[in-house]
Amino acid sequence: MQCRKWRAYTVVSNPVAEGKPVVERERLAIEEALRGLDESAPLPAAVPSTRLPVEPLVPVPGQQIRAVGQRAVRPDSRNHGLGQTRYIADFTLPGMLHAKIKRAGVASARIKRIDTSAAEAMPGVISVVVGCEVPVNSFGPTFQDQPVLADQLVRHAGDGVAGVAAVTEQIAAEALEKIIVDYEPLPAVFDPLEAMREDAPKVHPPKSNIYHSMVVRRGDVEKGFAQSDHIVQGRFTSQMVEHVSIEPHAAIADWDANGRLTVWATIGRLTLARADLARTLQLPMNHIRLIGTIVGGNFGGKNEISQEPALALLSKKAGRPVKGILTRGEEFIASTARHPFIMDYKTGVTKDGRILARTARLVLDGGAYCSWSETTLSKSCILAAGPYKIDNVRSEAIAVYTNKTMTGAMRGFGAPQTCFAYESHMDDIATALGIDPLEFRLRNAFEEGSQTPTGQVLHSVAVKQTLLKAAERFGWEIQS
Amino acid sequence: MKRRGRGIACMWYPIGFTVAANPSAAVVKMNEDGTALVLTGTVETGQGSLAVLGQIAADALGIATDDVYVVSADTDTTPMDTGAIASRTTYVTGNAIRLAADNVKSILFEVAAQVLRVAANQLEARDRTIQVKGFPRCSVPIGEVCKRAQTTLGQPLISSASWNPPTVALDPESGQGKPFSTYVSATQIAEVEVDDETGEVEVLRIAAAHDCGTPINPMLVEGQIEGGISMGIGFALQEEMLFDGAGRQINPNLTNYIVPTALDMPEIDVDIVQNYDPTGPFGAKGVGEPSLVPTAPAILNAIHDAVGVRITSLPATAEKVLAAIKAKRTDERRQIPAP
Amino acid sequence: MIDVMIIVNGETRCASVAPETTLLALLRDHFGLTGTKIGCDVGDCGACTVIVDDQPVDACLMLAAQADGRRVLTIEGVASKDKLHPLQKAFEESGALQCGFCGPGIILSAKALLDQNPAPTRHEIRDALAGNLCRCTGYAKIVDAVSEVARVYRSEQSRG
Repeated sequence: MQCRKWRAYTVVSNPVAEGKPVVERERLAIEEALRGLDESAPLPAAVPSTRLPVEPLVPVPGQQIRAVGQRAVRPDSRNHGLGQTRYIADFTLPGMLHAKIKRAGVASARIKRIDTSAAEAMPGVISVVVGCEVPVNSFGPTFQDQPVLADQLVRHAGDGVAGVAAVTEQIAAEALEKIIVDYEPLPAVFDPLEAMREDAPKVHPPKSNIYHSMVVRRGDVEKGFAQSDHIVQGRFTSQMVEHVSIEPHAAIADWDANGRLTVWATIGRLTLARADLARTLQLPMNHIRLIGTIVGGNFGGKNEISQEPALALLSKKAGRPVKGILTRGEEFIASTARHPFIMDYKTGVTKDGRILARTARLVLDGGAYCSWSETTLSKSCILAAGPYKIDNVRSEAIAVYTNKTMTGAMRGFGAPQTCFAYESHMDDIATALGIDPLEFRLRNAFEEGSQTPTGQVLHSVAVKQTLLKAAERFGWEIQS
Repeated sequence: MKRRGRGIACMWYPIGFTVAANPSAAVVKMNEDGTALVLTGTVETGQGSLAVLGQIAADALGIATDDVYVVSADTDTTPMDTGAIASRTTYVTGNAIRLAADNVKSILFEVAAQVLRVAANQLEARDRTIQVKGFPRCSVPIGEVCKRAQTTLGQPLISSASWNPPTVALDPESGQGKPFSTYVSATQIAEVEVDDETGEVEVLRIAAAHDCGTPINPMLVEGQIEGGISMGIGFALQEEMLFDGAGRQINPNLTNYIVPTALDMPEIDVDIVQNYDPTGPFGAKGVGEPSLVPTAPAILNAIHDAVGVRITSLPATAEKVLAAIKAKRTDERRQIPAP
Repeated sequence: MIDVMIIVNGETRCASVAPETTLLALLRDHFGLTGTKIGCDVGDCGACTVIVDDQPVDACLMLAAQADGRRVLTIEGVASKDKLHPLQKAFEESGALQCGFCGPGIILSAKALLDQNPAPTRHEIRDALAGNLCRCTGYAKIVDAVSEVARVYRSEQSRG
């Protein structure tokens, strides 16, 4: 059934609209139709000063819904639905310029020369910045190994090498084409296992490409394997993945006459961002203000500075606010991604399905810069054996530089990768033993007071409850 | 022909940073009419933290969710926060807010105790009043207490607090220690249908049972789980950044980097298992990242159940699944003894 | 520069723009209607969905010149002067929006669907929203919310 309620009013005579011009009739028709469609959602005529109910605050014991546990409507929901939420990209400041960053396009190279003169001469281009102008051109949570703008070495194809601020985005993008960069290509390495070798090209010479490692061990795995009835092994690998927040990274930088910098940014860690800006721009922290609004999705990809110091410098040079928004392509090539993992597992079990020993060896593709690799590595190393009572465990993890997109924080920090491995591995063991996968997990899962591979005693444990509840909901009958 | 299979996966995940300090500070202020403001340095990234943090403050102060307004994300006016990362906001920032609210509450109790002529420790805050525990009729509306505190006694209702999860550093040789203050767990079970002629996998249904401690806002917890599952499905079956031989990305766009659409999603049954963590605000822990951790192995185990192939590299694209099915058929044929 | 005139949310607006200007840029930069979002600018994500003469369209794929003389509905025009559209109300109450960035595009795609087919099945809803990417919600509560609006409409139809 076709039903175009609002259309019907333009065909049928509408006394209110008669005699009025077409546009006015249509507007009234739309209003009529919408009024007809909903009766129960009145908007306040003006924004109310308080969301308190109209009745006075007379206490009625036991009447009020307790806040914890309430399926409360989110405070930002109304604005979201009306399209009134203002994200960074929606802000405009008077005199604001638009910035674009030139991306290297080569995975490993030495920069011999950057010539920005043609870009600077373009009408509408107000300021240009390159890496050597950044007071401290390095940042990073563990090592400060990432440049704001690559100055001498390019380590992945998405490295920024110059920034431009212009009166329109279009002019800024055209100006990037006019920036000439002479690269001397250098050897590159893309596979983490290759990068681990002594003779592999070094991504951060003279440092080894292996830049983090960790071991967690408990008990005696060799003894555990010796006592096992069955030993199962497997290698599992996972891919590089992007956050794909629907909102791209965005930031606006502006200075006041006292040299105080304000940055509006989509960053999820503003305290840290302020510290990083203070360091890269050599400013005292109280000269920097970071403001966030609502972020259109983060998932770990917006937890560190990226273009902000460059925008700040462009703004300082221009004497005007500068806004930068990454394109969707830059979201892929120039922002962090999830670490690909190579995972080798080996487990020893008794024939009645008790796990006696487990080893896990994890190699993380650590990309061009360290970013949040240490956190990812440590979490995955600790979690690697899974939520199971195992007396003899050894897990080791290493992170390796490669000349690819930097891998950093992404929802789960290595847990989705290791869980894919250990839970696939668990099913392989269950198959080998002929035990139902649910039953096998119930036999080995953590309980209240169980010890983890790091020797920690767990509290508030609910692994078995989740197994049983999911099985009940799904309708999983244990097959013996 | 299409074959169905089921797969199960469970997981554990920590809340907060590995050993390292990751504190949050918060300020709670009450206005003269009994409504409140919370100042937090965290950032709302869509997960609903501002709603949840407001609910924690409201419950601690005995007022309604709508009575609290949360101000966030300004390094000039809101206190430091380690940030919206590591599923820590409800647990760490929530604890900081609860502590700040408790401080404000003790001022309220002192003021109300004078009015009601009882000891401060006989009082509780609920239903927008300060009342004597067990005697709800012996109470003062919270707005009156706030007004009295500020304008009669000259004591504004404001307090700050911070919290950091207690941990123990890991031994560098053996990794022994207490890296996190708490953990959550979850199980997801997937039912899939695999087309053994094309290798295509359709996820028909997922049952997800998650432990997040007390769910401060169950609707938002469900939202996180459902959203996480969509990322897990992408991780399992579709998403992959591809590079050419020179290290440049081949598919830096949403045409060729496939993420799940509404058509790719199964119906999801979510259960939040009952659990209470005394170290968290009102027993809460977290759910932001755990939501997608078990999805991929549940799906991959279901593929194995459906067609007997073990895909060991993600994503399990149709090409990979089909190649594995064909290889298995070849193997099986080889094993049949010659007549 | 070319002159374009479009009827946005019932109001006639004019602008003088470069010929390559998209409808999306016209709406955001020239008319100040920032509710329509830029997610990819190439028609892959649906964040810029608007309704042009009854059809849901990615505004980044349409030139401003192509919209000349046509009626365009953006998120700013969905609510009436003093009431939420049932979709907006349902989305709010069921927690269907998290970060909200995909919200305007999804609401317009859903509205276009309901305007054509007021009683869609859940599959038809998913199909209509297949061009709108959301990374936060898994689409679950979105489909629930649209279904709820359809259910209410259906029950009103059977009553009336």
